[in-house]
Amino acid sequence: MWKEIERRESGKICPHLFASRLKSRRVASMQLSNSKDIVSPHRGSINSLQVDLTEGRYLLSAASDASVAVYDVQQPQDYEGGGLIAKHKSILVLDKQHEEGHKYAVSSAVWYPVDTGLFITGSYDNSIKVWDTNTTQMVMNFKMPGKVYTTAMSPLATSHMLIAAGTEDVQVRLCDIASGAFAHTLSGHRDGVMTAQWSASNEWVLITGGCDGAIRFWDIRRAGCFRVLDQSHSQLGRRSPVLSRVTAKASTSKVLLGGQNTSAKTGMALRKLSYGNGTKQVSAGKIPAKTSSKQRLHPGMMSIRDRATAHYGAVTGLRVTEDGMYLLSTGSDSRLRLWDIKSGCNTLVNFETVRLQTNKAIQLAISPDSSHVFVPCMASVKAFDFWSGKTFMTFRGHYENVNCCWFSSRDQELYTAGNDRQILVWSPFVSQEMEEEAALDRDCWSD
Amino acid sequence: MAPGRSRKRKIEDEEEEREAPPLASSGSAVDPDESLEQSLTFSDTLVALQIMRAQFPRIEKVSIKPFVLRSQLYSSVMDRTQVDRELETLRRAKTIRIFKLNTGQDDHAVMFLDDYINQIDSVVKKMEEKKLLNLEAFDWFKTHVIDTRLEPNISHDDLCSLLSLGGRVKEEHVTLLINGGVIVRQLIDPGMYWFAIPSIGSVLKGLSQGRKELLGILSRKRYKEEMMATLEKKRLRLSPLDIRFHLRDLIGSGHLKTVSTPSGLVVRVSKD
Repeated sequence: MWKEIERRESGKICPHLFASRLKSRRVASMQLSNSKDIVSPHRGSINSLQVDLTEGRYLLSAASDASVAVYDVQQPQDYEGGGLIAKHKSILVLDKQHEEGHKYAVSSAVWYPVDTGLFITGSYDNSIKVWDTNTTQMVMNFKMPGKVYTTAMSPLATSHMLIAAGTEDVQVRLCDIASGAFAHTLSGHRDGVMTAQWSASNEWVLITGGCDGAIRFWDIRRAGCFRVLDQSHSQLGRRSPVLSRVTAKASTSKVLLGGQNTSAKTGMALRKLSYGNGTKQVSAGKIPAKTSSKQRLHPGMMSIRDRATAHYGAVTGLRVTEDGMYLLSTGSDSRLRLWDIKSGCNTLVNFETVRLQTNKAIQLAISPDSSHVFVPCMASVKAFDFWSGKTFMTFRGHYENVNCCWFSSRDQELYTAGNDRQILVWSPFVSQEMEEEAALDRDCWSD
Repeated sequence: MAPGRSRKRKIEDEEEEREAPPLASSGSAVDPDESLEQSLTFSDTLVALQIMRAQFPRIEKVSIKPFVLRSQLYSSVMDRTQVDRELETLRRAKTIRIFKLNTGQDDHAVMFLDDYINQIDSVVKKMEEKKLLNLEAFDWFKTHVIDTRLEPNISHDDLCSLLSLGGRVKEEHVTLLINGGVIVRQLIDPGMYWFAIPSIGSVLKGLSQGRKELLGILSRKRYKEEMMATLEKKRLRLSPLDIRFHLRDLIGSGHLKTVSTPSGLVVRVSKD
């Protein structure tokens, strides 16, 4: 440690490298925190966790007993154990007693990305409510046609304030905070939408994962989705840098879109059919297609015909990396897949997951330098190496299934919560050299 | 009761001994009597595939060409990502074909393309004996569909358009392909089919039952573990596939894990 500081001082390693080495060493030593404790007032399983993006100070949690709570994770309210354990109690609780509170389970709670003055909650009572944090009053209420599974707001948005809502209905709805009405709906999924994430590189792109196993990319300024991820389109690892790809294209046919044949005629025919073109293919002795291709669809809605699936089962979790280049998705087939967003291909990294919970959405976390992925696997949380898929660490501490986790990059802390109603904090191990203080005699009986 | 049982076991042992010499002569590069401990890991996916294909147990009642499960490859090669990528390159090179099986979550079977073609030919022969018509559908299938469509599934429209490259396609041709077992209708999507290995049904039943039996044997032990050397010698009652097949499969899918001890490898049921 001191050697590293000395090398930084003499200029042998650059500051960025010094910081990243220190952070990765801290992440490698993470364990159940022995100095920090979050006291959760929830009486039902906790469904979502989020630390605000602006300050990284306030943690928002949503639970199945219709309660939502906010905690300050940097400043504790109380100390216990002779000043060794910091207790972080909730500074705000919204539950069924509140006159405008939710009636059923709250499935997701997210902060307004610009500041912590507002937060948005979505619940199984078919409503999405926008709350003012300081006065704890409901500001807006959006009625949904079905149970709300997920809500998301774009962290990059400067020209819109849209909440993307995924419900058990097949359409994704966009709710506008500025006007209080629905902006528009996105159709294309064939079953409920369980997860939604906004892109980290473009404020107009939304990514949704549905119970039909499809992951769709939507540009909200256009109709229909512009990409559907297909698990059979794969590439071997990272895409090669642009220059080598250009020279390779000249010599060989493109193999990046895996699995497609190279013969011209059948290739064109296959591609046209799979992307659902309305015009009929004329070839000798063909059986007419069962779906009537006579109905004319808007060109942007062609994607409805595309039935490619990203998982053999429902998509239960989505997360985009901070640089916006890769997407991680988990499915109820207990697989974790890494997708390259630009090419839309599966990078075939195999994460060693044995079982993942299938009935609820799970929330993944990715470290900011895209080196580790934290995934709740049943009753433990596993950290995987991003590119090799090997299990890096396993965090066992919860008594029941873990639903959500959040990695705070400021302090390299991981917050996890699940069906056992506890929020656990996992922080880098720091040896306690304060035993001398504890030895002070604080007994209150007379000698 | 006891003498009767020991006599039965002696007869079983004799049968095993008689089976062992013919197997030893057929396995060319590898000694099938080699213990699983020694041949557990390989360096390369293709090497692993070829050796496991040679070690595929011979089943009397059903004539089926050797196939390897994806989970078996995961237990044999150290890096799973490498296995996935090498399988992908082999699949694109049309050396192997990957099929999705219906025995539980995300099971895939890997078969060499030559074996698959031979399997289809044996199905065609059986159908010729029964004097069925429209058998040219299988030829069209072999030449046009398998060559171009490398994914494990195919939609009805794609299938018909590819078959029509061979000749005039009727509904009976598609029905014949389904009856022959090379195509299976998907349960969730009526317009899509999975590619399948013909006459694999009984083997798949044995696969799922054998898995349960092996997990049961280990779970009933006091410490839920057993030496691999003793476990290998057991025979499963409910599965025609040998125990080595099931061990590789369960280790690869994560239900069992191996621990190396001074006296050899120990197989243990893994807690999630």
